[in-house]
Amino acid sequence: MALLINCPVCGKRNGYEFRYGGEDKGPRPDDESLSQASWCDYVHNNNCVAGIQKEWWFHKDGCGAWFTIYRDTRTNLEADTSADTSIPEVK
Amino acid sequence: MFWRSKRLWREPGSLKSSYDAVIIGGGLHGLATAYFLARHHGMTDIAVIEKNYIGFGGAGRNTAIVRANQRTQENLPLYKEALELWPVLTRELDFNLMFYNCGNLNLAHSDAAIKAMRLQVASAQYSGIDIKLVDPRECKELIPALDISDRPRYPVFGGMFHPPGGIVRHDAVVWGLARGASKCGVDIHQNTEVTGIAVSGGRVVGVDTGRGRIHTSRVLNSAGGYSAAISSGMLGIRLPISVLTIQAMVTQPLKPFLDHVVSSGMYHCYANQTLKGEVATGAHMDPWPNYTTQCTGHYIKHQAEALSELLPCLRGVKFMRHWAGLADMTPDMAPIMDGNDHIRGYYMNCGWGYFGFKSSTVAGKYMARFISTGECPDILKPFALNRFEQHRLMGETAALVSYSADN
Ligand SMILES: Cc1cc2nc3c(=O)[nH]c(=O)nc-3n(C[C@H](O)[C@H](O)[C@H](O)COP(=O)(O)OP(=O)(O)OC[C@H]3O[C@@H](n4cnc5c(N)ncnc54)[C@H](O)[C@@H]3O)c2cc1C
Ligand SMILES: [Zn+2]
Repeated sequence: MALLINCPVCGKRNGYEFRYGGEDKGPRPDDESLSQASWCDYVHNNNCVAGIQKEWWFHKDGCGAWFTIYRDTRTNLEADTSADTSIPEVK
Repeated sequence: MFWRSKRLWREPGSLKSSYDAVIIGGGLHGLATAYFLARHHGMTDIAVIEKNYIGFGGAGRNTAIVRANQRTQENLPLYKEALELWPVLTRELDFNLMFYNCGNLNLAHSDAAIKAMRLQVASAQYSGIDIKLVDPRECKELIPALDISDRPRYPVFGGMFHPPGGIVRHDAVVWGLARGASKCGVDIHQNTEVTGIAVSGGRVVGVDTGRGRIHTSRVLNSAGGYSAAISSGMLGIRLPISVLTIQAMVTQPLKPFLDHVVSSGMYHCYANQTLKGEVATGAHMDPWPNYTTQCTGHYIKHQAEALSELLPCLRGVKFMRHWAGLADMTPDMAPIMDGNDHIRGYYMNCGWGYFGFKSSTVAGKYMARFISTGECPDILKPFALNRFEQHRLMGETAALVSYSADN
């Protein structure tokens, strides 16, 4: 089964048009309080949830937009979590 | 009698309430560690906890290729020892692991690739590993079916040939290690899921399973594709890992025509002919993280195109079976082997991606030494998790291909 991704500009498109942009890790840590550990965590570390995660995508063979979606990593299906506040924001 | 009525390993029945060490995952690395702990370190009060059945994960899904031609000084000795262990373990386990050292040919499709291979060959030779650069004509002598003309999209510029590598029967490794560990007293609990790791005062005190709590002071996370989710979900230790589905497939059986493992990074394709005559071939990983283990038409097409370019005689041959597993990939394509870092008694051996079959026995050997003594063996020290914080990533990524999830 192919992955379908809902681009906010172009609508549902074949997943191979997009480039995965990583788990959503919130804003980049500010330079003031930056430590080796917090930088490593931001750059390299992942939650690797087997379930629904918030993540970035880039419509590389399309409109060029960057956006986030919620996807279930066990099924590749996009999850509608707009109304669901139980999904924790990734730190 | 053409079947065995007796199991190779003991079914332990009830789960004891305490063990000296608990190993999460009845895959290659978990079983190898259990075996070495019990057989070589006298630690026999061990439970291997497996969610499904042993060999369910990458252990039973890999394409069984073994080789030692890594790139870096930290990785080369480990893989070299791993390759040398197959005949030793075949004897020690008294189990035919079907090691077939047919040699591996890696193809280069550009001058830049040849230059990268020159460095890789020199590094491997420096570590005493048998490997050499070969030109297109020599490639053709090794594999007569190979198209070395300028017809393919990526013509063959040469390659590196590594004679001691080849194929080992992956199921036999699982069964041999399980039997060996079980004989020494290890309890293998299948259909049992680890659901939590209990920590108190900075130490491991127990492991929760679907069948109850086990008290233990030592736990090894060797859950393959699920090890990163276990680490972050159960302990809050996030790892530099992306989990990707990776697919493989076999063709219908053919008469012998391919004597070596052949691979091409450029075509994202590697293949060998099994003893049954099927051409087993592995593809690249999905370009986004997922746990689906779904097979896709995308890769059937990709493999068909790549194979019929490299080995044109395969045109018209049919794929018979197609399957997928999980690859837990680190950014530097080297594993994470660590212990007692954040939590005393918590050990991990993961991040083996799609290359953790060939090295499983040696990783188990040294992880067992680590767990039994509490001291990290020198050979494992470069693989500590803190290398990512210290910007000491290893250069195991190919020069020409980026394996990162977001590429
Ligand atoms: C298609 C494919 C081709 C490959 N080809 C090669 C190759 O040619 N050469 C090579 O060297 N490597 C190859 N690999 C990689 C190799 O198979 C893996 O690196 C290796 O299996 C990792 O071993 P492991 O013991 O860490 O994990 P696994 O063998 O995956 O074992 C992990 C086990 O943990 C269990 N588990 C997970 N979660 C839990 C839980 N909560 N509780 C209890 N148990 C749990 C799983 O059920 C599984 O049985 C390939 C992998 C794939 C998928
Ligand atoms: Zn778009």
